[in-house]
Amino acid sequence: MDIIANFAQGLVTVLQPENLLYCFIGCFLGTFIGVLPGIGSMAAIAMILPLSFYLDPISALVMIAGVYYGAEYGGSIASILMNIPGTPSSSITCIDGYPMAQSGRAGVALFVTSIASFGGGIIGMVVMAVLSPALASLALSFGPAEYFSVILLGLIAASAVSNGGALKGIAMVFAGLMLATVGIDLTTGDLRFTLGIPELRDGVNLVIVAMGLFGVGELIASILANREGRGRQEIDYSQFYPTKAEWWASLGPILRGGGIGSFFGALPGTGQTVASAVAYAVEKKVSKNGGQFGKGAVEGVAVPESANNSATQTAFIPTLTLGVPGSASMAMVIGALMIHGITPGPRILTDHADLFWGLVASFLVGNIMLLILNIPLIGMWVRLLQIPYRLMYPTIIVLICIGVYSLNNNVFDIWLTLLFGVMGYLMRLFRFEPAPLLIGFVLGPMMEEQMRRAMLLSRGDPMVFIERPISGALIAITVCILIYGLWSTLHGRRRSRLAALPTAE
Amino acid sequence: MQAEPLDEHGNASSEDSARGPHAWWGAAGGAVLVLLSLYFMVGGLELGLGTAFRPGTGAFPFFTGAILIVLAVAIILQDLRSEGLAEQPDWISFLAISAALATFALTADRFGLLPAAFLTTIIASVPDRSLSLPGKGLLGLVVAAASWVLFIKALGLPFKAFAGF
Repeated sequence: MDIIANFAQGLVTVLQPENLLYCFIGCFLGTFIGVLPGIGSMAAIAMILPLSFYLDPISALVMIAGVYYGAEYGGSIASILMNIPGTPSSSITCIDGYPMAQSGRAGVALFVTSIASFGGGIIGMVVMAVLSPALASLALSFGPAEYFSVILLGLIAASAVSNGGALKGIAMVFAGLMLATVGIDLTTGDLRFTLGIPELRDGVNLVIVAMGLFGVGELIASILANREGRGRQEIDYSQFYPTKAEWWASLGPILRGGGIGSFFGALPGTGQTVASAVAYAVEKKVSKNGGQFGKGAVEGVAVPESANNSATQTAFIPTLTLGVPGSASMAMVIGALMIHGITPGPRILTDHADLFWGLVASFLVGNIMLLILNIPLIGMWVRLLQIPYRLMYPTIIVLICIGVYSLNNNVFDIWLTLLFGVMGYLMRLFRFEPAPLLIGFVLGPMMEEQMRRAMLLSRGDPMVFIERPISGALIAITVCILIYGLWSTLHGRRRSRLAALPTAE
Repeated sequence: MQAEPLDEHGNASSEDSARGPHAWWGAAGGAVLVLLSLYFMVGGLELGLGTAFRPGTGAFPFFTGAILIVLAVAIILQDLRSEGLAEQPDWISFLAISAALATFALTADRFGLLPAAFLTTIIASVPDRSLSLPGKGLLGLVVAAASWVLFIKALGLPFKAFAGF
């Protein structure tokens, strides 16, 4: 019953006009960015981060979260209408969504994805409300050694299954950890690696790293992706509402997708894309209609959207209760909270209960807002897709510049963003994923501090990380993931080389 | 996090001029990582590793650098043997966007926010051949006016609309 009382309290917090407004801004912006192919929620979060510094922590968190899950709603629109995923995780939605659109049922597909997204979001929210307190009370017994190990596990899990292969992903994590040491050492006050540049005394700003690697880097890549003109898509609004049979057919997939999505969302390193892919594969097996999958089955659009939305909500569980983000977007959430002086961890549920439950309740409010934005107002997003991208991207680059400039009113920050942008684009070309770098960058200072404290407490004995049972178990899991990641990189390369033979006609 | 096509080789072959560079250039990225790790390791040694009981300021950068250098060497070996192609680059957009950021950095303090936004928009839209020069100018004016309304009037950020005139 505690949960319900806390949730009601959170609802009161989030229903304050100011928080409602920022929740709406977040959801709206998220959908907007989600609709645009090639630009993900990361770039959007980086762009609103400077703005969030001026807000109180609850408004800031609610807004950032809104961008994050709003992007999942928007992402499916481009998938269905253009067969281009608006966000990576909505690529699965293309499989059945685009065939539906081609056979004139785009309206139904869009309607079902919105309902499925809502259902998944609510399932994820309930899982978060129930699971977080349990996980937090377990984590309260953590000492520095456990924290060090859980951060290490998070870092390795988030990178070992990255697109560019385990090796590059893990290397990027370490590059991020290294980069995080630039600036004043918080423990001793010594300056590190500032190259004599006074602007680097406080370290490299998180906004600059994120804007450069994701904002600028993704923007450059998106210009090519959007160069081809977009076909005009007319939606027949008389065929917008699903039939009764389609409603019933979507119910099971929504529930199953939500369950699978909740599980993968809470695991570090898997996230929405894995969630929607696994949910789709499972649904194809269990569904009576499995044969229609890939040809425009309603179940095939319902299940991935439910899964990726529930995963966006449960991704907050490890982020807030352990302080370990599963993805770069969640790392940004941690960064934003730390700027407000709040350290995510098990104590957040007791010390900042209003913040935590306000966020959980905002999921309900935000998902209702998104339902309104995506069903009655769907025409607006469809028209947005028809605005030529050539008018949009110069505007976005100006927004990035002004956002970075507003940090310190110093053009040095723009030059630094340019450097990270150039790096981000080149990294992308050669499959050095920027996401693990950002996660390492955010967690670096925390990891270093926990390492120092653990060594101090154990009187300099590094065995403490293995000998303490929870820490040891976490390290063992980390090693397993490492081995699996490296093995699958080698194995995958061999397989892709074999697969390349018959196709190279 | 990032949506990357699993295999672009099939698509790239249809248009030979639009091929990506060889993936083994990724080894150059590995080499950059080696240099970077060396810098942090040397710097870490100079800052002092401290003792196991009380790790020094340089310990964390030194050891992360040491691990990274091993990984970077493995990346070099891996990428030198890779036979595929990297993602297709778009150097024109790359240069234009970089130039746009540089333009903003050079003009924001000297001329103020609005001229900076105007010039940045125009430079950024260079790779787009379908928009005429007057069209680009108009877009620049609209973006500059919108940033004035949004950032200076509505949000009240402490920027100068015009400076140095």
